[in-house]
Amino acid sequence: MPTLRWQPISTLVLSVFGLCVSIYLTITHFDTKVLACASNGVINCEKVTQSPQSVIFHIPVAMLGLAFFVPMIVLCLPAAWRTATRWVHLARLAMAITGVAMVVYLITAELFAIKAICLWCTSVHVITFILFVIIVTAAPIVLAPGYGDDLIDEDEVISEDGGDRRIEVEG
Amino acid sequence: MADSTTPAKGGNTPKPATGDQSAKEKSKAASRSVSGGTSKGGNTPRPVKGAQEVAAAPGRSRGMLIAWGAVALVVVIIVVVVIVAVTGNSNSNSTATPVTATPASVLRDVANVPASVFNTVGVTSTIPVSKPIVSAGNPPMTLQGHSPAVLYYGAEYCPYCAAERWPMTVALARFGTWSNLQITGSSKIDTAPDTKTFSYHGASLESPHIFFKGVEQYTNVPLADGRGYGNLDTPTKEEGKILSTYTTSKFLPNASTSGGISFPFVDINNSMLISGASYDPNVLAGLSWADIAGNLTDPTNQVTQAIIATANYMTAGICQATKGQPGDVCTSSGVQAAAKALGITAG
Repeated sequence: MPTLRWQPISTLVLSVFGLCVSIYLTITHFDTKVLACASNGVINCEKVTQSPQSVIFHIPVAMLGLAFFVPMIVLCLPAAWRTATRWVHLARLAMAITGVAMVVYLITAELFAIKAICLWCTSVHVITFILFVIIVTAAPIVLAPGYGDDLIDEDEVISEDGGDRRIEVEG
Repeated sequence: MADSTTPAKGGNTPKPATGDQSAKEKSKAASRSVSGGTSKGGNTPRPVKGAQEVAAAPGRSRGMLIAWGAVALVVVIIVVVVIVAVTGNSNSNSTATPVTATPASVLRDVANVPASVFNTVGVTSTIPVSKPIVSAGNPPMTLQGHSPAVLYYGAEYCPYCAAERWPMTVALARFGTWSNLQITGSSKIDTAPDTKTFSYHGASLESPHIFFKGVEQYTNVPLADGRGYGNLDTPTKEEGKILSTYTTSKFLPNASTSGGISFPFVDINNSMLISGASYDPNVLAGLSWADIAGNLTDPTNQVTQAIIATANYMTAGICQATKGQPGDVCTSSGVQAAAKALGITAG
């Protein structure tokens, strides 16, 4: 059974970075004075973060970023990557797909409607896209039948009488 | 899990349990199997887990193919979006500043100029500001069945309109709420090129006191043959009648003798008229929308003084039309100073 080596830690680190930027963007959505970014020409964070497109269903997009990265951090914990519980991997995959779909929408909004680029937002887009690549390409492994079964702690499997149940140990 | 009760032939035999091993260790030892299907000499049927892997391998390969296909698809979509946007922008941005949604912060600054700034500035400005023309005795304006009303007639390319929209937007924001107000810049190839401003094309003011209609006759995009700019709004018959009436020399001392109308033309309820910019648009050179709007809290800023002094004149004219409503605006000292300077009653 193929195993995951660098994916858990890299996705966890990326998610933490994404959360940090989202927190910053949420703060700047409500207080533009703390926004550190160029405000002229194509690069114009304030124009993006204060645009009508920065709010969806009365919710600031930056807050949607928070709502994305907080559960993503949980789903990218090494324990979550190791689990044999299938819905955890499906949830992670679904979030990654949703995230990258949102990125495509936001890039389109920036380029066509707002006509400005926010570098902070772009960093979140890049993080989300890399998360998408890692999670999607890891999906065939973590969603394969039997994934995680061999990672169950042996002590939990062996019955108290030390007896009949067997556990396979990779040689 | 694998059932490994039958030792695999030719492979590693399970380590025999020794007498001093615990029951747990014995169990582990007895259960230790030959790993996977790669061990040498493993002639016995593979355990269940190995069979699962064999069965899963093609599925996994197919899954990987789908996964990388999905990644490639997303990359293609993003690349196409960027290429289309860059290509489109290179065709339009080189000749004109695009018309886009007003940033919330700019709209907030324009609509929430502190009363103290209006009152401190009054009509005093370091940058010269022209007074509007007071035209008494005319019938109140009715537009689309609404009265009193304000009619603005200009063009997006026009730098004088660009300057005039700032005080006008500030003044009208004291009477209602702007909707669909957009930002743009004046022509890049005219006087005071690319003066940052608003566009009244499609904008509306929700107000219980005054009705506003903005007509932007032309865009700020030069025609390919260099002869003017693209058409945008066309005055209605009702608006055309007002324009033809109040842009004559009877009402405007500087009216064109050829019968043309100079941009901008502002008619506040037929009792106050503005033709041309109230202050020099060049004072806005190099300033962004955020710069201009952000400075509106500073009554010592020279650009702010020009904008606010003009806005106070306009507000006085609107207050005359609304018969002093809303009271807090029309009785404020800044508006009263403007009304006094114009010789009108603002409320």
